[in-house]
Amino acid sequence: MGKLIRIQALAFNTIREAIRNKLLYTLLGFGILMIGAGVLISTLSYVEIDEIIQDIGMAAIRFFSAGIAIFVGIGLIHGEVERRTIFTILSKPVSRSEFLIGKFAGLTLTVWLQLALMSMAFGLVSWMAGAPLGSGHLIALLLIGLELMVLVAIATFFSAFTTPMLAALFTIGFWLIGHLSRDLHALGQQSDIESVTSVAEWIFRLLPDFEIFNKTLEAVHGLPIESHEVAMAFVYSIGYMICLLTLGSMIFSRRDFK
Amino acid sequence: MAEGTEIVQVRDVVKDFRPGFGLRRKRVLQGVSFEVLEGEIFGFVGPNGAGKTTTLKILMGLIRPTEGSAAILGRDVGESEFRDQIGFLPENPYFYPYLTAREILDFYARLSGVDSSRRAARVDELLEMVNLTPAADARLRTFSKGMLQRVGVAQALIHDPKVVFLDEPMSGLDPIGRKEIRDVILALRAAGKTVFMNTHILHDVEMICDRVAIIVKGAIRHQGLIEDFLPETDVSTAVVLSGLAPEVAASIEEDFDCELRGLGERVELVLASKTMQKVIAIALESGAEVVSVTPHRNSLEDVFMSAVREGEAS
Repeated sequence: MGKLIRIQALAFNTIREAIRNKLLYTLLGFGILMIGAGVLISTLSYVEIDEIIQDIGMAAIRFFSAGIAIFVGIGLIHGEVERRTIFTILSKPVSRSEFLIGKFAGLTLTVWLQLALMSMAFGLVSWMAGAPLGSGHLIALLLIGLELMVLVAIATFFSAFTTPMLAALFTIGFWLIGHLSRDLHALGQQSDIESVTSVAEWIFRLLPDFEIFNKTLEAVHGLPIESHEVAMAFVYSIGYMICLLTLGSMIFSRRDFK
Repeated sequence: MAEGTEIVQVRDVVKDFRPGFGLRRKRVLQGVSFEVLEGEIFGFVGPNGAGKTTTLKILMGLIRPTEGSAAILGRDVGESEFRDQIGFLPENPYFYPYLTAREILDFYARLSGVDSSRRAARVDELLEMVNLTPAADARLRTFSKGMLQRVGVAQALIHDPKVVFLDEPMSGLDPIGRKEIRDVILALRAAGKTVFMNTHILHDVEMICDRVAIIVKGAIRHQGLIEDFLPETDVSTAVVLSGLAPEVAASIEEDFDCELRGLGERVELVLASKTMQKVIAIALESGAEVVSVTPHRNSLEDVFMSAVREGEAS
């Protein structure tokens, strides 16, 4: 119970801190602007106007939300160390893993909050443009939420032991590879060299697969999204998050705060 | 726990830091050992860069010793569960500037496990104790250094800890602020708390500490009761007399090997305390009057400076 109260206090304080970050509002503003810009871009086409609006909207949500998760996330732990607020926090009965989980939970909630705002903007633009909205859109947005949670876990993991610059580079790298890992895997499978195939297989297993959360195509084109795929994405995100936070906590516990 | 129980135990602690990637390790603590007893105010004294804050960070679990061990209340400092029994004020504390004094204390109360039913009352109590009630709902970004220091003291005490660690608690404060913090520390001792204080302000140490350890270049040079640092044998006394005839003054100076200084109509004699009674008797007999008698003790600063010189020579 005490553990939960401490994590909750750290998480709420992280939200209070994150919502004062000007970068969050800049990226959020650009995201909403991009969602609205879909209407203008769609006028360039005579066909599938609704799909273009929603495709651009979903892409904007994914891209700018990821930007918020990475650039707001990587500074939070570093800021606590740099300003030495971590000294008073860790002098209380707060373990380092509780601190890390609290920061992660706060940032995840912040990112979900801005995802909700962007989703409302998406819904509003779709409704005004007369584009159809269904449960598929909701599921696709929820899956983006899971993707963001994994991304925050990656940002938290790297910021537990590196500088903000390196943490940002690594997290961006993981996010990009995560969206390409299926293609890399498929390429590796086509190779005649066995070692290349097995290396590609291991890379695919170790690196995150962010395409598991991408159901934009199905949502925009009204195609069915299988429930087992959603369940798989949910289990995958939780598992990946737990592994990253456990590893991050182990490294963070050994860190000296000079 | 009985009086005299060791609350803090530091045994042969060594700490090495690597100044940068690929650079050789630098030893900043060289086998530091000391203990803090229950109910005392312990002064940890040393010049800048001596290893005071590094030692305190080891005690707070912020850095890990390379060798040796440290324990508080019998628990290894690497653990976090027992920290509801300790309070910590870091040097030049910084707090989230967007929170109010009340909000920050509530935040620390939650982290310290203060029961929700008495959290608000405890926050009010601490605000009152550090004289911040009128500014309770102001954002911390508007606070002066002295006010932030008081917030720091309040957060360290929010959960009523048994042991309190203070890193340079008086640094940068004006005389009023220093007196307020001194009063808080003395009140803590009166309430049976144990206080560990890192400082380089020797005057404060002389005024309030029971025991002292002097650290220079990562090694403890002296430690013990404050009285042990100010031995009786070194005590001298300044006696100011008026109406002392010059020939009597010259005779006293010669017979008692004292320093004589003219102060207009008056004369100041600095002499060994054991000869003071005789000198005053002679002066009174000759018709002089005693204006003042001031004992001069060998100050902690003298001991400190000699420890620093020893440390530099070694």
